[in-house]
Amino acid sequence: MPGGQGLRARTRHMFARGFRQKGFIPLTTYLRTYKLGDFVDIKVNGAIHKGMPHKWYQGKTGVVWNVTKRAIGVEVNKRVGHRIMKKRIHVRVEHVMPSRCREEFLQRRSANDAAKHEAKAKGEPIPKTKRIPQGPRAGFELIPEKVETIAAIPYDIIKEGLV
Amino acid sequence: MGYVKVVKTSAYFSRFQVKYRRRREGKTDYRARLRLVKQDKNKYNTPKYRLVVRFSNRDVTCQIVRSTIKGDIVEAAAYAHELPEYGLKCGLTNYSSCYCVGLLVARRILTKFGLDKHYPGQEEPDGEDFNVDPVEDGPRPFYCLLDTGLKRTSTGSKVFACLKGALDGGLDIPHNEKRLVGYDRSSKKFDAEVMKKYIFGGHVAEYMEEMEEEEPEKYTKHFSKFLEEDISGGDLEDLYAEVHKNIRENPMKEKKTRTKPATQERWHEVKLTLEQRRENLKQKLATLMDDEE
Repeated sequence: MPGGQGLRARTRHMFARGFRQKGFIPLTTYLRTYKLGDFVDIKVNGAIHKGMPHKWYQGKTGVVWNVTKRAIGVEVNKRVGHRIMKKRIHVRVEHVMPSRCREEFLQRRSANDAAKHEAKAKGEPIPKTKRIPQGPRAGFELIPEKVETIAAIPYDIIKEGLV
Repeated sequence: MGYVKVVKTSAYFSRFQVKYRRRREGKTDYRARLRLVKQDKNKYNTPKYRLVVRFSNRDVTCQIVRSTIKGDIVEAAAYAHELPEYGLKCGLTNYSSCYCVGLLVARRILTKFGLDKHYPGQEEPDGEDFNVDPVEDGPRPFYCLLDTGLKRTSTGSKVFACLKGALDGGLDIPHNEKRLVGYDRSSKKFDAEVMKKYIFGGHVAEYMEEMEEEEPEKYTKHFSKFLEEDISGGDLEDLYAEVHKNIRENPMKEKKTRTKPATQERWHEVKLTLEQRRENLKQKLATLMDDEE
Protein backbone atom coordinates (compact mmCIF):
# COMPACT_ATOMS: atom_id res chain seq x y z
CA MET A 1 0.00 0.00 0.00
CA PRO A 2 1.41 3.44 -0.88
CA GLY A 3 2.18 5.86 1.91
CA GLY A 4 -0.48 8.29 0.78
CA GLN A 5 -0.16 11.60 -1.03
CA GLY A 6 -2.27 13.79 1.20
CA LEU A 7 -1.87 17.54 1.20
CA ARG A 8 0.59 17.50 4.06
CA ALA A 9 2.25 14.19 3.32
CA ARG A 10 5.93 13.98 4.24
CA THR A 11 5.92 17.30 6.04
CA ARG A 12 6.72 16.01 9.51
CA HIS A 13 10.01 17.85 9.68
CA MET A 14 9.43 20.56 7.12
CA PHE A 15 6.45 22.03 8.91
CA ALA A 16 7.81 21.43 12.39
CA ARG A 17 8.60 24.42 14.56
CA GLY A 18 12.24 24.99 15.43
CA PHE A 19 13.98 23.86 18.57
CA ARG A 20 12.76 25.94 21.49
CA GLN A 21 10.65 28.06 19.14
CA LYS A 22 7.32 26.52 19.82
CA GLY A 23 4.26 28.35 21.00
CA PHE A 24 3.30 31.92 20.40
CA ILE A 25 4.49 33.70 17.28
CA PRO A 26 6.15 37.09 17.74
CA LEU A 27 3.85 39.92 16.75
CA THR A 28 6.30 41.34 14.19
CA THR A 29 4.95 38.83 11.70
CA TYR A 30 1.56 40.44 11.98
CA LEU A 31 2.78 44.03 12.03
CA ARG A 32 4.69 43.85 8.77
CA THR A 33 3.09 45.45 5.74
CA TYR A 34 3.42 44.08 2.23
CA LYS A 35 2.88 46.07 -0.93
CA LEU A 36 2.18 44.88 -4.44
CA GLY A 37 5.41 44.04 -6.20
CA ASP A 38 7.33 43.18 -3.04
CA PHE A 39 9.41 40.02 -3.04
CA VAL A 40 8.53 37.52 -0.33
CA ASP A 41 9.90 34.19 0.83
CA ILE A 42 7.44 31.45 1.68
CA LYS A 43 8.26 29.70 4.92
CA VAL A 44 5.48 27.67 6.43
CA ASN A 45 4.73 28.16 10.12
CA GLY A 46 3.41 24.86 11.41
CA ALA A 47 1.64 26.48 14.35
CA ILE A 48 -0.86 28.25 12.11
CA HIS A 49 -3.02 25.74 10.30
CA LYS A 50 -4.98 28.18 8.18
CA GLY A 51 -3.79 29.59 4.91
CA MET A 52 -0.88 27.19 4.59
CA PRO A 53 0.62 26.80 1.15
CA HIS A 54 1.36 23.36 -0.29
CA LYS A 55 4.69 21.89 0.81
CA TRP A 56 6.14 22.41 -2.66
CA TYR A 57 6.17 26.17 -2.07
CA GLN A 58 8.27 25.96 1.08
CA GLY A 59 11.38 28.00 0.47
CA LYS A 60 10.20 29.56 -2.75
CA THR A 61 10.34 33.27 -3.42
CA GLY A 62 7.65 35.13 -5.27
CA VAL A 63 6.11 38.51 -5.94
CA VAL A 64 3.10 39.94 -4.12
CA TRP A 65 0.20 40.34 -6.50
CA ASN A 66 -2.67 40.70 -4.02
CA VAL A 67 -3.20 41.84 -0.46
CA THR A 68 -6.30 40.81 1.46
CA LYS A 69 -7.37 41.13 5.08
CA ARG A 70 -5.20 38.37 6.52
CA ALA A 71 -3.36 36.91 3.53
CA ILE A 72 -0.99 37.80 0.76
CA GLY A 73 -1.28 36.66 -2.82
CA VAL A 74 2.10 35.45 -4.07
CA GLU A 75 3.08 34.65 -7.64
CA VAL A 76 5.68 31.89 -7.77
CA ASN A 77 7.46 30.30 -10.76
CA LYS A 78 6.87 26.58 -10.87
CA ARG A 79 8.42 24.22 -13.35
CA VAL A 80 5.78 21.86 -14.65
CA GLY A 81 7.26 19.44 -17.12
CA HIS A 82 8.75 21.39 -20.00
CA ARG A 83 7.59 24.87 -19.05
CA ILE A 84 7.64 27.29 -16.14
CA MET A 85 4.22 28.32 -14.97
CA LYS A 86 3.47 31.38 -12.92
CA LYS A 87 1.44 30.06 -10.03
CA ARG A 88 -0.69 32.46 -8.02
CA ILE A 89 -1.38 31.34 -4.49
CA HIS A 90 -2.81 32.96 -1.40
CA VAL A 91 -0.92 32.53 1.79
CA ARG A 92 -1.57 33.82 5.29
CA VAL A 93 0.94 36.37 6.55
CA GLU A 94 2.33 33.95 9.13
CA HIS A 95 3.81 31.83 6.36
CA VAL A 96 5.53 34.70 4.55
CA MET A 97 8.69 36.67 5.19
CA PRO A 98 10.01 39.71 3.36
CA SER A 99 12.73 38.54 0.99
CA ARG A 100 16.21 39.92 1.06
CA CYS A 101 16.96 38.88 -2.50
CA ARG A 102 16.48 42.42 -3.76
CA GLU A 103 18.36 44.04 -0.94
CA GLU A 104 21.82 43.82 -2.46
CA PHE A 105 20.59 45.04 -5.83
CA LEU A 106 18.72 48.01 -4.38
CA GLN A 107 21.68 49.05 -2.27
CA ARG A 108 24.04 48.82 -5.22
CA ARG A 109 21.65 50.75 -7.40
CA SER A 110 21.23 53.61 -4.91
CA ALA A 111 25.00 53.74 -4.30
CA ASN A 112 25.65 53.89 -8.07
CA ASP A 113 23.02 56.54 -8.58
CA ALA A 114 24.50 58.61 -5.77
CA ALA A 115 28.02 58.27 -7.22
CA LYS A 116 26.84 59.28 -10.68
CA HIS A 117 24.88 62.21 -9.32
CA GLU A 118 27.87 63.39 -7.34
CA ALA A 119 30.18 63.09 -10.33
CA LYS A 120 27.77 65.06 -12.48
CA ALA A 121 27.44 67.77 -9.85
CA LYS A 122 31.21 68.12 -9.59
CA GLY A 123 31.70 67.93 -13.34
CA GLU A 124 33.85 64.81 -13.17
CA PRO A 125 33.52 61.98 -15.67
CA ILE A 126 30.81 59.46 -14.72
CA PRO A 127 32.34 56.44 -12.97
CA LYS A 128 31.98 52.99 -14.49
CA THR A 129 29.42 51.15 -12.39
CA LYS A 130 29.15 47.80 -14.17
CA ARG A 131 30.17 44.87 -12.01
CA ILE A 132 33.08 43.00 -13.48
CA PRO A 133 33.35 39.26 -12.86
CA GLN A 134 36.51 37.95 -11.25
CA GLY A 135 39.04 37.30 -14.01
CA PRO A 136 42.02 34.96 -14.00
CA ARG A 137 44.69 35.70 -11.43
CA ALA A 138 47.50 38.03 -12.48
CA GLY A 139 50.92 36.63 -13.02
CA PHE A 140 53.38 36.85 -10.13
CA GLU A 141 56.95 36.00 -9.40
CA LEU A 142 57.55 33.45 -6.69
CA ILE A 143 60.72 34.38 -4.78
CA PRO A 144 61.66 31.78 -2.18
CA GLU A 145 63.41 32.93 0.99
CA LYS A 146 65.57 29.91 1.45
CA VAL A 147 66.71 27.71 -1.38
CA GLU A 148 67.67 24.23 -0.27
CA THR A 149 69.33 22.10 -2.92
CA ILE A 150 68.87 18.40 -2.42
CA ALA A 151 70.52 15.57 -4.31
CA ALA A 152 69.26 12.00 -4.52
CA ILE A 153 71.00 9.50 -2.19
CA PRO A 154 71.05 5.85 -3.23
CA TYR A 155 68.98 3.64 -0.96
CA ASP A 156 71.23 1.84 1.56
CA ILE A 157 69.49 -0.85 3.54
CA ILE A 158 72.14 -0.85 6.31
CA LYS A 159 72.01 2.90 6.74
CA GLU A 160 68.24 2.87 6.96
CA GLY A 161 68.57 0.55 9.93
CA LEU A 162 66.44 -2.35 8.72
CA VAL A 163 69.22 -4.92 8.84
CA MET B 1 16.60 12.42 53.29
CA GLY B 2 17.17 9.38 51.14
CA TYR B 3 17.69 9.22 47.42
CA VAL B 4 15.59 11.78 45.52
CA LYS B 5 15.68 11.70 41.76
CA VAL B 6 16.78 15.06 40.37
CA VAL B 7 14.06 16.35 38.09
CA LYS B 8 15.84 19.42 36.80
CA THR B 9 18.87 17.89 35.17
CA SER B 10 21.09 19.80 32.79
CA ALA B 11 19.11 18.17 29.98
CA TYR B 12 15.98 19.74 31.37
CA PHE B 13 17.56 23.16 31.39
CA SER B 14 19.10 22.92 27.95
CA ARG B 15 15.76 21.90 26.47
CA PHE B 16 13.66 24.36 28.44
CA GLN B 17 11.94 27.00 26.31
CA VAL B 18 11.25 30.17 28.25
CA LYS B 19 7.99 31.99 27.74
CA TYR B 20 8.14 35.54 26.47
CA ARG B 21 9.65 37.94 28.99
CA ARG B 22 6.45 39.86 29.58
CA ARG B 23 4.58 36.62 30.03
CA ARG B 24 7.15 35.51 32.60
CA GLU B 25 6.65 38.83 34.36
CA GLY B 26 2.93 38.18 34.20
CA LYS B 27 2.23 41.54 32.60
CA THR B 28 1.05 40.82 29.07
CA ASP B 29 -1.64 38.51 27.75
CA TYR B 30 -0.24 37.82 24.29
CA ARG B 31 -3.35 36.15 23.00
CA ALA B 32 -5.37 39.28 23.72
CA ARG B 33 -2.57 41.53 22.50
CA LEU B 34 -2.41 39.80 19.16
CA ARG B 35 -6.11 40.29 18.60
CA LEU B 36 -5.94 43.96 19.55
CA VAL B 37 -2.92 44.75 17.45
CA LYS B 38 -3.58 42.78 14.26
CA GLN B 39 -4.42 45.11 11.40
CA ASP B 40 -5.89 44.04 8.06
CA LYS B 41 -3.13 43.74 5.53
CA ASN B 42 -5.12 45.69 2.98
CA LYS B 43 -5.14 48.60 5.39
CA TYR B 44 -1.34 48.70 5.17
CA ASN B 45 0.12 51.21 7.60
CA THR B 46 -3.12 52.54 9.06
CA PRO B 47 -2.54 52.64 12.81
CA LYS B 48 -4.77 50.70 15.14
CA TYR B 49 -5.14 52.48 18.44
CA ARG B 50 -5.98 50.95 21.76
CA LEU B 51 -7.08 52.52 25.01
CA VAL B 52 -4.87 50.86 27.56
CA VAL B 53 -6.19 50.92 31.13
CA ARG B 54 -3.99 49.68 33.92
CA PHE B 55 -4.30 49.87 37.67
CA SER B 56 -1.75 49.98 40.40
CA ASN B 57 -2.48 50.13 44.08
CA ARG B 58 -2.61 53.90 44.16
CA ASP B 59 -2.73 54.99 40.56
CA VAL B 60 -4.69 54.58 37.36
CA THR B 61 -3.05 54.78 33.94
CA CYS B 62 -4.92 55.41 30.69
CA GLN B 63 -2.93 55.50 27.47
CA ILE B 64 -3.76 55.64 23.79
CA VAL B 65 -1.21 53.35 22.17
CA ARG B 66 -0.42 52.16 18.68
CA SER B 67 1.93 49.32 17.82
CA THR B 68 4.88 49.29 15.46
CA ILE B 69 7.63 46.79 14.82
CA LYS B 70 10.06 48.99 16.73
CA GLY B 71 7.77 49.10 19.73
CA ASP B 72 4.52 50.56 20.95
CA ILE B 73 4.09 54.31 20.70
CA VAL B 74 1.98 56.12 23.28
CA GLU B 75 0.08 58.96 21.63
CA ALA B 76 -1.52 60.32 24.79
CA ALA B 77 -1.51 59.32 28.44
CA ALA B 78 -3.36 60.30 31.60
CA TYR B 79 -2.69 59.27 35.17
CA ALA B 80 -4.74 59.53 38.33
CA HIS B 81 -1.84 61.28 40.03
CA GLU B 82 -2.38 64.21 37.62
CA LEU B 83 -5.88 64.82 38.93
CA PRO B 84 -4.78 67.03 41.87
CA GLU B 85 -3.96 69.67 39.24
CA TYR B 86 -7.59 69.56 38.14
CA GLY B 87 -8.90 69.85 41.67
CA LEU B 88 -9.23 66.26 42.85
CA LYS B 89 -6.90 65.60 45.75
CA CYS B 90 -8.17 62.40 47.31
CA GLY B 91 -9.83 59.15 46.33
CA LEU B 92 -7.65 58.86 43.23
CA THR B 93 -8.43 55.26 42.41
CA ASN B 94 -12.17 55.16 42.96
CA TYR B 95 -14.79 54.75 40.26
CA SER B 96 -15.37 58.46 39.77
CA SER B 97 -11.67 59.14 39.55
CA CYS B 98 -11.26 56.47 36.88
CA TYR B 99 -13.99 58.19 34.90
CA CYS B 100 -12.02 61.44 35.17
CA VAL B 101 -8.83 59.79 33.93
CA GLY B 102 -10.66 58.28 30.93
CA LEU B 103 -12.15 61.69 30.19
CA LEU B 104 -8.75 63.35 30.47
CA VAL B 105 -7.04 60.98 28.06
CA ALA B 106 -9.91 61.34 25.57
CA ARG B 107 -9.72 65.14 25.60
CA ARG B 108 -5.96 64.97 25.29
CA ILE B 109 -5.92 62.75 22.24
CA LEU B 110 -8.69 64.73 20.56
CA THR B 111 -6.85 68.00 21.16
CA LYS B 112 -3.64 66.45 19.86
CA PHE B 113 -5.31 65.37 16.63
CA GLY B 114 -7.40 68.52 16.28
CA LEU B 115 -10.73 66.76 16.76
CA ASP B 116 -11.74 68.36 20.05
CA LYS B 117 -14.01 71.00 18.51
CA HIS B 118 -15.79 68.46 16.35
CA TYR B 119 -16.38 65.93 19.12
CA PRO B 120 -17.15 67.49 22.49
CA GLY B 121 -18.69 64.25 23.69
CA GLN B 122 -21.19 64.19 26.51
CA GLU B 123 -20.65 67.42 28.43
CA GLU B 124 -23.19 66.75 31.17
CA PRO B 125 -22.70 63.12 32.09
CA ASP B 126 -25.98 61.47 32.89
CA GLY B 127 -24.92 57.85 32.88
CA GLU B 128 -26.79 57.05 29.67
CA ASP B 129 -25.07 55.02 27.01
CA PHE B 130 -23.48 57.66 24.81
CA ASN B 131 -22.26 56.87 21.30
CA VAL B 132 -20.39 59.52 19.35
CA ASP B 133 -22.10 60.66 16.15
CA PRO B 134 -19.78 61.30 13.23
CA VAL B 135 -19.85 64.92 12.15
CA GLU B 136 -21.30 65.40 8.66
CA ASP B 137 -18.57 67.23 6.81
CA GLY B 138 -15.59 66.77 8.93
CA PRO B 139 -13.25 64.15 10.20
CA ARG B 140 -14.64 60.89 11.54
CA PRO B 141 -14.47 60.23 15.30
CA PHE B 142 -11.32 58.81 16.85
CA TYR B 143 -11.65 55.04 16.95
CA CYS B 144 -9.82 52.87 19.42
CA LEU B 145 -10.24 49.57 21.22
CA LEU B 146 -10.29 49.01 24.97
CA ASP B 147 -7.30 47.07 26.26
CA THR B 148 -8.13 45.68 29.67
CA GLY B 149 -4.83 43.90 30.23
CA LEU B 150 -5.12 41.24 32.86
CA LYS B 151 -7.98 42.82 34.79
CA ARG B 152 -11.08 40.77 35.29
CA THR B 153 -13.90 42.31 33.23
CA SER B 154 -16.76 41.94 35.66
CA THR B 155 -19.83 44.17 35.71
CA GLY B 156 -19.08 47.37 37.52
CA SER B 157 -15.32 47.10 37.11
CA LYS B 158 -13.33 50.34 37.18
CA VAL B 159 -11.90 49.55 33.76
CA PHE B 160 -15.29 50.38 32.37
CA ALA B 161 -15.39 53.59 34.36
CA CYS B 162 -12.34 54.69 32.33
CA LEU B 163 -14.13 53.46 29.22
CA LYS B 164 -17.20 55.53 30.05
CA GLY B 165 -15.02 58.57 30.69
CA ALA B 166 -13.37 58.15 27.30
CA LEU B 167 -16.73 57.67 25.58
CA ASP B 168 -18.20 60.77 27.17
CA GLY B 169 -14.98 62.53 26.21
CA GLY B 170 -15.78 61.92 22.55
CA LEU B 171 -13.95 58.75 21.53
CA ASP B 172 -15.49 56.02 19.44
CA ILE B 173 -14.92 52.74 21.27
CA PRO B 174 -16.99 49.66 20.53
CA HIS B 175 -18.68 48.65 23.77
CA ASN B 176 -21.73 47.23 25.41
CA GLU B 177 -23.58 48.58 28.44
CA LYS B 178 -23.59 45.06 29.87
CA ARG B 179 -20.46 45.64 31.96
CA LEU B 180 -21.14 49.11 33.25
CA VAL B 181 -22.24 49.81 36.80
CA GLY B 182 -26.02 49.81 36.92
CA TYR B 183 -26.54 46.87 34.61
CA ASP B 184 -28.85 44.29 36.14
CA ARG B 185 -28.06 40.76 35.03
CA SER B 186 -31.41 39.32 35.97
CA SER B 187 -33.57 41.90 34.28
CA LYS B 188 -31.02 42.62 31.53
CA LYS B 189 -31.53 46.33 31.95
CA PHE B 190 -29.09 49.16 32.27
CA ASP B 191 -29.96 51.71 34.92
CA ALA B 192 -28.41 55.01 33.90
CA GLU B 193 -29.26 56.56 37.28
CA VAL B 194 -26.92 54.20 39.09
CA MET B 195 -24.16 54.93 36.58
CA LYS B 196 -24.63 58.65 37.07
CA LYS B 197 -24.46 58.22 40.83
CA TYR B 198 -21.15 56.38 40.54
CA ILE B 199 -19.69 58.95 38.14
CA PHE B 200 -20.30 61.67 40.69
CA GLY B 201 -19.11 59.67 43.65
CA GLY B 202 -22.59 59.01 45.03
CA HIS B 203 -21.54 55.61 46.30
CA VAL B 204 -18.60 57.11 48.17
CA ALA B 205 -20.80 59.88 49.58
CA GLU B 206 -23.30 57.35 50.91
CA TYR B 207 -20.58 55.29 52.53
CA MET B 208 -19.06 58.42 54.08
CA GLU B 209 -22.38 59.49 55.59
CA GLU B 210 -23.15 56.04 56.86
CA MET B 211 -19.77 55.69 58.50
CA GLU B 212 -19.86 59.19 59.98
CA GLU B 213 -23.06 58.33 61.80
CA GLU B 214 -22.31 54.84 62.93
CA GLU B 215 -18.56 54.62 63.45
CA PRO B 216 -17.04 58.08 63.77
CA GLU B 217 -13.54 56.86 64.75
CA LYS B 218 -13.33 54.58 61.74
CA TYR B 219 -14.63 57.45 59.63
CA THR B 220 -11.87 59.83 60.67
CA LYS B 221 -9.29 57.14 60.01
CA HIS B 222 -10.66 55.90 56.71
CA PHE B 223 -11.48 59.23 55.13
CA SER B 224 -8.65 61.15 56.76
CA LYS B 225 -7.51 62.66 53.47
CA PHE B 226 -11.00 63.83 52.66
CA LEU B 227 -11.28 65.47 56.07
CA GLU B 228 -7.92 67.14 55.55
CA GLU B 229 -9.23 68.69 52.34
CA ASP B 230 -12.46 69.51 54.14
CA ILE B 231 -14.65 67.46 51.84
CA SER B 232 -17.75 65.78 53.17
CA GLY B 233 -20.15 63.41 51.46
CA GLY B 234 -22.41 66.13 50.15
CA ASP B 235 -19.56 68.01 48.47
CA LEU B 236 -18.48 65.16 46.26
CA GLU B 237 -20.95 65.67 43.46
CA ASP B 238 -20.00 69.30 42.96
CA LEU B 239 -16.34 68.44 43.31
CA TYR B 240 -16.43 65.91 40.50
CA ALA B 241 -18.47 68.24 38.30
CA GLU B 242 -15.81 70.87 38.86
CA VAL B 243 -13.05 68.40 37.97
CA HIS B 244 -14.85 67.41 34.73
CA LYS B 245 -15.12 71.07 33.81
CA ASN B 246 -11.44 71.72 34.52
CA ILE B 247 -10.44 68.74 32.44
CA ARG B 248 -12.46 69.90 29.48
CA GLU B 249 -11.09 73.41 29.71
CA ASN B 250 -7.45 72.54 29.95
CA PRO B 251 -6.59 68.99 28.97
CA MET B 252 -3.09 69.63 27.65
CA LYS B 253 -0.07 70.06 29.82
CA GLU B 254 2.48 72.57 28.75
CA LYS B 255 5.84 71.11 27.91
CA LYS B 256 8.58 72.12 30.29
CA THR B 257 11.67 73.53 28.62
CA ARG B 258 14.48 71.18 29.45
CA THR B 259 18.06 72.33 29.69
CA LYS B 260 20.98 69.98 29.46
CA PRO B 261 22.57 69.44 32.88
CA ALA B 262 25.99 71.00 33.43
CA THR B 263 27.83 67.72 33.89
CA GLN B 264 26.89 64.60 31.96
CA GLU B 265 26.18 62.06 34.64
CA ARG B 266 26.31 58.35 34.09
CA TRP B 267 23.77 56.20 35.84
CA HIS B 268 25.25 52.88 34.88
CA GLU B 269 28.72 51.41 35.05
CA VAL B 270 30.95 51.95 32.07
CA LYS B 271 31.67 48.71 30.24
CA LEU B 272 35.31 47.66 30.24
CA THR B 273 37.18 47.25 26.96
CA LEU B 274 38.71 43.96 25.91
CA GLU B 275 42.22 45.12 26.91
CA GLN B 276 40.99 46.19 30.34
CA ARG B 277 39.24 42.87 30.90
CA ARG B 278 42.37 40.98 29.84
CA GLU B 279 44.47 43.07 32.21
CA ASN B 280 42.08 42.36 35.08
CA LEU B 281 42.24 38.67 34.32
CA LYS B 282 46.03 38.69 34.26
CA GLN B 283 46.15 40.42 37.63
CA LYS B 284 43.65 37.99 39.06
CA LEU B 285 45.70 35.05 37.87
CA ALA B 286 48.87 36.64 39.26
CA THR B 287 47.35 36.98 42.72
CA LEU B 288 46.09 33.40 42.58
CA MET B 289 49.59 32.18 41.68
CA ASP B 290 51.00 34.15 44.58
CA ASP B 291 48.44 32.64 46.94
CA GLU B 292 49.33 29.16 45.83
CA GLU B 293 52.98 29.78 46.50
